Amino acid sequence: MSIFTAPVLNYSLLAPILIVLAGAVLGVMIEAFASKAIRPVAQLSLTLGTLILAIAQVWRIRHQSSLTAAMGSVAIDGAAILMQGAVLVIAILGVLLIADQEQFTVLAAAVPGSEEERESLESGQKLTEVYPLTLFAVAGMLVFPVSNDLISLFVALEMLSLPLYLMAGLSRRRRLLSQEAALKYFLLGAFSSAFFLFGAAYLYGYSGSVSLAGIRDSVVGGSGNDVFFLIGIAFLSIGLLFKVGAVPFHAWTPDVYQGAPTPVTAFMAAATKVAAFGAMLRIFYTAFANAYWDWRPLMTVIAIITMLFGSFVAIAQRDIKRMLAYSSIAHAGFLLAGVIALNKAGLDASIFYLFAYGIATVGAFAIVTLVRDSTGEVTDLKRWAGLGKRSPFAASLFATFLLAFAGIPLTSGFIGKFSIFSAAYESGNKAIVVVGVLSSAIAAYFYIRVIVLMFFTDPADDGTSVVIPSMLTRITVIAAFIITIFLGVFPAPLLNFITSLAYFIR
Amino acid sequence: MNWLTTLMALPLVGALVISVLPKSNALAAKRAAFATTLIVAGATITMAVQFQRDNVEIQFVESRSWIPSFGIKYALGIDGIALVLILLSVLLAPIVVLAGWNESSGGRWSAKTFYILLLVLETMIVGVFSATDVFLFYVFFEAMLVPVYFLIGGFGTGERSAAAVKFLLYSLFGGLLMLASIIALYVLSGEQIGHTFDLAALSHLTMDSTTENFLFLGFFIAFAIKAPLWPLHTWLPDAAASATPGTSVLLLGVLDKVGTFGMIRYCMTLFPHATKTFTPMIIVLALISIIYGAFLAIGQKDLKRLIAFTSISHFGFITLGIFSMTSQGQSGATLYMFNHGFSTAALFLIGGWMMSRRGSSKIADFGGLQRVTPVMAWTFFIAGMSSLALPGLSSFVSEFLVLVGTYTRYPVAAVIGTFGIVLAALYILIPVQRALHGPVTPGNEGLSDLNMRERIAIAPVLAIIIALGFYPSPLLNVINPAAAHTIAQSGFTDPVSQIDAKAGK
Amino acid sequence: MNSTGNPYVPILVIGAIGFGFAAFSLVAAAITGPKRYNRAKADPYECGIEPSPQAAEGGRFPVKYFLTAMLFIIFDIEIVFLYPWAVTFDKLGVFGLVEMSIFIATVFVAYAYVWRRGGLEWD
Repeated sequence: MSIFTAPVLNYSLLAPILIVLAGAVLGVMIEAFASKAIRPVAQLSLTLGTLILAIAQVWRIRHQSSLTAAMGSVAIDGAAILMQGAVLVIAILGVLLIADQEQFTVLAAAVPGSEEERESLESGQKLTEVYPLTLFAVAGMLVFPVSNDLISLFVALEMLSLPLYLMAGLSRRRRLLSQEAALKYFLLGAFSSAFFLFGAAYLYGYSGSVSLAGIRDSVVGGSGNDVFFLIGIAFLSIGLLFKVGAVPFHAWTPDVYQGAPTPVTAFMAAATKVAAFGAMLRIFYTAFANAYWDWRPLMTVIAIITMLFGSFVAIAQRDIKRMLAYSSIAHAGFLLAGVIALNKAGLDASIFYLFAYGIATVGAFAIVTLVRDSTGEVTDLKRWAGLGKRSPFAASLFATFLLAFAGIPLTSGFIGKFSIFSAAYESGNKAIVVVGVLSSAIAAYFYIRVIVLMFFTDPADDGTSVVIPSMLTRITVIAAFIITIFLGVFPAPLLNFITSLAYFIR
Repeated sequence: MNWLTTLMALPLVGALVISVLPKSNALAAKRAAFATTLIVAGATITMAVQFQRDNVEIQFVESRSWIPSFGIKYALGIDGIALVLILLSVLLAPIVVLAGWNESSGGRWSAKTFYILLLVLETMIVGVFSATDVFLFYVFFEAMLVPVYFLIGGFGTGERSAAAVKFLLYSLFGGLLMLASIIALYVLSGEQIGHTFDLAALSHLTMDSTTENFLFLGFFIAFAIKAPLWPLHTWLPDAAASATPGTSVLLLGVLDKVGTFGMIRYCMTLFPHATKTFTPMIIVLALISIIYGAFLAIGQKDLKRLIAFTSISHFGFITLGIFSMTSQGQSGATLYMFNHGFSTAALFLIGGWMMSRRGSSKIADFGGLQRVTPVMAWTFFIAGMSSLALPGLSSFVSEFLVLVGTYTRYPVAAVIGTFGIVLAALYILIPVQRALHGPVTPGNEGLSDLNMRERIAIAPVLAIIIALGFYPSPLLNVINPAAAHTIAQSGFTDPVSQIDAKAGK
Repeated sequence: MNSTGNPYVPILVIGAIGFGFAAFSLVAAAITGPKRYNRAKADPYECGIEPSPQAAEGGRFPVKYFLTAMLFIIFDIEIVFLYPWAVTFDKLGVFGLVEMSIFIATVFVAYAYVWRRGGLEWD
């Protein structure tokens, strides 16, 4: 019989993940045993407390980096610390938005428009399951970018996706749209998971190892069947590209962004991008780095198509959430430029960009939650006309986030764009820089169009207004605004922090 | 003392003060804005006095690390050319505030917002002219668009939002091309001398001619849009026609100078070889701008659009002077930028008063103003004469220098350019004749003449136009060394001396 | 297996055996089995309930079946993990005991949730 010894897990390094998971399990217990009256408060404080504790743990282990935990299946290196930190910060802002329970249905299982649903809404109860679901998703997002082998990658991918599928279907208004979004997200997500698994199997066939280091060794050694390797890369990439919403695997993005409750969209759009690009960077910078000749040309094409497609199609959108969805597709293209760059500058730039973009995204969607009429949120762009007149404060903040997306100087988006394009240029990929710059110009058009609509168009008298934000939403919006401007004016501290930490162990 | 930072901080302080004033009290905001711009102007003059004019080095240098990961510095400093342009901007600012005392009332937002935007813009203008770090320059260059955009779109007239969007999209497009070039420069500097954006250091980069040509174009197109040069000028007439007269003054008088300033400071310094390659083409474009702008100005029925098209013609002259690659041409172009600022300011401000009194911007609606409102008519007349470069007025000196400088290297271009002067006589004299002279036409009988505030506002403008016409040397003494230095840096020598030498034989 | 051949040959062999077994069973059943048809046999298989064109309760399938199936899977998986642990219990020692207790506790949390929220009540 083979020698079987207990594995060394290194709990200290896994602490952030374990804390979030424990918080989620506790949340389920609260759902099971606490009375309905105290659930909302209990869940919110538990969730926030868990996330803050997890951030503290990430901060504590930031210098113990360059270690692996759980027998090498999780790599806690500098880049991992940064990505986990980014996910957690975004998650906290996202949870503050999710706390606005007006956005969620009470009985997600009820048939839309049924008597049952009406009764549940009138009962004044709250849907508190969304908090543990968020925590489970966050746990998955914490594992995804630090996974050091294909198995943990897949488990993390499912762990972050499954709660999100559910959360997409919880919108209080436009139930059918929301359910459609959830179903679409689930089906396409399951599809892409299958691709991912298929690719992982081929990579195992190629290298005889599921660990990224093992695959890297095979690539360096040049042994193994190249056909398996290429099939493996292709299918694994499809799975990842789906998650980041790159063209041609983007089809779910606009529907899900539009259908999901806006706070969930905010959290999902920002945090999933960080996690998925984190994993992507790790895989491509470690396992596949030496085979760049095999994947770079195709990835360049995908990046270029993604930038152009996202920017062009966003112009035609009439719904603010769909527009932001296409804008996120364009941004995925910019971020792919950082993955393709395959140099230290590209890694630093991508992490900075992810953080800056994530924060601005949460801020922008937070403002979207505030624009309402008597029946709920108003996402029709036409009805945003004249918002600047009615509520100059909210409109100005939204304009700031849009300018950050457009990459106007003195916002975080500009520093991000500059750093990612300079990294791409440094790697010799001039085509991507030129296309990136051009699609930024196209993208600027639709951002500016919204600003024109808000500030330079007379309001129609249709009851659209900005509600007075709750304290929590206010915190989110203002924090996002301050971070966006601060990173545009004084990016040096964060950039230095990222530069000093962002390394992958191999 | 950090003069330039102080100059940039002062308007921001003013903007902060205004932001805490009550919204209802527009008068307080106006007074605060006027006081701030006056203080900035005073501070700039104090600084200008300390400028060592024979020193070709960059002066009032400040340098602080900003984003060390990219080698970006907060680095400021000015030479004679930049000093003149900063002077132009800060002198025009109080005049614009005073002249457009009531401009802010017709907008979508309160007067407070107008003056905050104006002061933030002033900060950025000083920054854009004094940055010696290419990245910092770009930041100001792009960020400047935001306040202008809201000034046009929020306080303009007519199709203001469309005009504002057009302006912003044109400028952003150019800016992004420039960004691509800046990224390339950054990467090249990393390969050769370590990542930096320092202008002086970047000018020593070596690059192959294809790269240099592309990078040059990235910068040049951005500046040509800003300047604006034919065929990239189409945003200007709309923007100028929709903006308030005060905003138009800042837009044409100051902001567009960033384009021509950038050609001197960035295109020529960073890419001397590419400059040489493209000079003939640019001169052709400049000539087309001169002639085209003049012809369209002649055909205009709208006063604001007329002034906008004259500016396109004048910017052709400035570009011609810059790319004549002679020190006279450069000096003339820089002086032209200064003078054009004031003559355009005079035209727009007085034109603006005429239009607001008459309630129309159509030239045909005016007539016989000389009898009804003599002061307004005469000041407009002087402004018009300055625009057509009448000898004795400031523009004449600069236009003469540009043409002489061009003639020594490109005689044919200079001759064609001279036609622009002839056309200028037409586009100025026809409307002046129609609007000011002749019998009083219906609708003009009851117009009131300039009031005391307006007279005080316009007096310094006319004084500068006349004084510099007779005695331009204070400015030229500052400009000449810097212009000669720029020419020498780009590897050109003045052909004048060669001609003299031949003649001497 | 010989060590010099392609390592994937065994997989191919297993595949072939699986296919062969399925083909054999089908053919053998068709040849040897009795052929007595009735209505119930011709109906599509539907978890033992009466198949109907329109499901009861307004066009929706009762979710109970799925809940039951999921609960089964949870405890099924639990056993899958418990069994190897039981085999190597002495080698994993306290570590294994603690980890397994956490695992069982987590499964229990899911069970408690279903129970408290009425997932186990049939009607």
